[in-house]
Amino acid sequence: MKALFSLMQDTLNAAWVSRLLTLAIGLFFLMDLAPMEAVAAMGKMVGGGGVDVVNATSGATLVVQMVNKTMSDGKNVPFWVFCVSGSSNCHLPGPTLELGVGQTANFNLNVMGAPQEMPPYQGHTIHPHGLDVLQSEDGVPETGAAVLGDNYKFTVDTRYVGSHMYHCHVHTVKHLEMGMYAAFVVKAVDNLGNFTNVINQTGPAFDYEWNWVLSTVDPAYHADNAVGDSTVFADYNPKYFLVNGSEGLSKTAPAETVTAAAGKKIAIRLVGIHSVNGTFQIKDANGSSQSFVIYNRDGFALPSPQTVTSLEVNPGRTVDVMATLPAASGAWYPQITYKSLRNAAAYTNGTVYTRLNF
Amino acid sequence: MDVKIWRMFKRSEWYIAVLLLMFSGASWASTYTLYIKSGNWVVNGSGGATIKVWGFTDAPTAGPIVPGPLLESQEGESVTITVYNQHTLPHNFVVRGITTDQTQIPAGGNRTYVFTTSTAGVYLFSDTINSINREMGLYGAFVVHAAGGINKAWTNGPSFDIERLWVVSDMDKSRWNDIAGAGGTVNTSVYKPNYFMMNGMGGFDAMRAPNTVLQGNVGQVGLVRIVNAGQFDESLHFHANHFQIIDADGARLSSYEPGDTINVKAGTTAMLLYKFYRLGNYPMHVHTAQMETANGVYLNGAATLIVGQ
Ligand SMILES: [Cu+2]
Ligand SMILES: [Cu+2]
Repeated sequence: MKALFSLMQDTLNAAWVSRLLTLAIGLFFLMDLAPMEAVAAMGKMVGGGGVDVVNATSGATLVVQMVNKTMSDGKNVPFWVFCVSGSSNCHLPGPTLELGVGQTANFNLNVMGAPQEMPPYQGHTIHPHGLDVLQSEDGVPETGAAVLGDNYKFTVDTRYVGSHMYHCHVHTVKHLEMGMYAAFVVKAVDNLGNFTNVINQTGPAFDYEWNWVLSTVDPAYHADNAVGDSTVFADYNPKYFLVNGSEGLSKTAPAETVTAAAGKKIAIRLVGIHSVNGTFQIKDANGSSQSFVIYNRDGFALPSPQTVTSLEVNPGRTVDVMATLPAASGAWYPQITYKSLRNAAAYTNGTVYTRLNF
Repeated sequence: MDVKIWRMFKRSEWYIAVLLLMFSGASWASTYTLYIKSGNWVVNGSGGATIKVWGFTDAPTAGPIVPGPLLESQEGESVTITVYNQHTLPHNFVVRGITTDQTQIPAGGNRTYVFTTSTAGVYLFSDTINSINREMGLYGAFVVHAAGGINKAWTNGPSFDIERLWVVSDMDKSRWNDIAGAGGTVNTSVYKPNYFMMNGMGGFDAMRAPNTVLQGNVGQVGLVRIVNAGQFDESLHFHANHFQIIDADGARLSSYEPGDTINVKAGTTAMLLYKFYRLGNYPMHVHTAQMETANGVYLNGAATLIVGQ
């Protein structure tokens, strides 16, 4: 703990803060010149909330913006979301970061002008959740992470080929809930360093990939008075249940509709940022459950893949699954039912539907 | 060791017990006396509070502790536990997965349990009469070590360098504990816990408690035994490395499953191996919103530290 506190003092050292600020401002202007080059073109990405997909090695800068969303009951809920600096495409969830295995992630967070709390919870960070990075890149203020902007650099080995996530680690009970999260995908690469479409380092290839960011929303946590150490955060009553930032209350109003070719292999990356339990299933138009194969949990390959028709996705976990689409055209409805942490009872409006046309 | 001396030691069980003590560095008691009492439990630090509890203690003149005293044995050992109910309501004592006697012990009564711990692992002991009794604090962990107290999860099982026990739990102070503790009736249909504990502590204490902080040299392996004695499922997220789950609620996995977050259902257990991979200080925390807090105060909930040195 001694080391922990001396690190915290270092962070609070004014000279260090100003150095970081200068660095962040400098990077902000540098990145502003070529923001769209940081956005990779992924021909086989069929969905994921329409968010920007960013190569994590690109030196891209992320910023934080307030986004107001009108929910299904007509109520307005403010979110804080990560956006690519200079991109007008600001969404809940934030942009997907993709990193080739063995390559060096190098990206920045600029919090200038970001919505934020007062001390001790000012600023924001990026925690590369599941990437097992060094303390200096971990984004945890309590162990010394800069909260007023930072550069993140790390590499991971082949065990990490799969889905992870990133999110702010400042006062996470508030900031995670506010929407400061997104998918982080580690990709296998070929000899030229180009991404390859395999589910893990030794796993099978897919034809399409679809990122699913799971989250839940208690509007009380988003209120103006829900700041600092407040008893608001002593209770969690989620009212809105999301996949890629959308509610998707029925098969006819899905959170997202994607299209893939019949007979092809699709990978779905489930990124669990929700704060309740959840059960994922794929159903056809008649409501019959389709089987799918689990390849990775928390971005690591399972000792052996598991074929199932139902999958529990827990808070803070990621799961990579694959399925082969039928040869004849049709539609599937991949869906998740959010459930209570106490007794696994499904929440009202707790099932979120998506649609996959083929 | 000289062969003659070894033979001499072998002559008596007493000598074997001494030998085990020397090698394990722990004191093995196969006989325990527990007392069930009402009292108060304090979660320290900002957001903390004094909470009415019913719990176990092994000190006849002391108040209850949360979780109850750690009970330990080795594979194959016979254990005798006598429980005195010094509370005004009936209670029972069940070691989940080991004992089956659910007989109520009346107020003022006592009961003795004799059983053999054949399988190394971690077990929840609790009052199973109803959900209130466990929620009120009548729970603890029973650890069955490998025979001989060796640093393996079980005989011929995976090895470890250091070991930790994490009992996580939750309490709804105003709707359950303070009502039941004052003799009132709890509406069990509503449960909104506002205290989330790691070994009975809020995170501020748990992040500096030497036996709770997961600390080791880079390259060493820690065995973490987890008991979720609460009413909520808990997702514990580890920074700085993935772990391997070796046992899910008493079922040993034939191939260990990797993860950075483990979901431990309410009333169940797990064991995992965590290899220290990174130098430095990292958090280990539940990944669900309010469970990181003590009545809303951030990080005084179910959290501790991982320290690689
Ligand atoms: Cu933040
Ligand atoms: Cu996380």
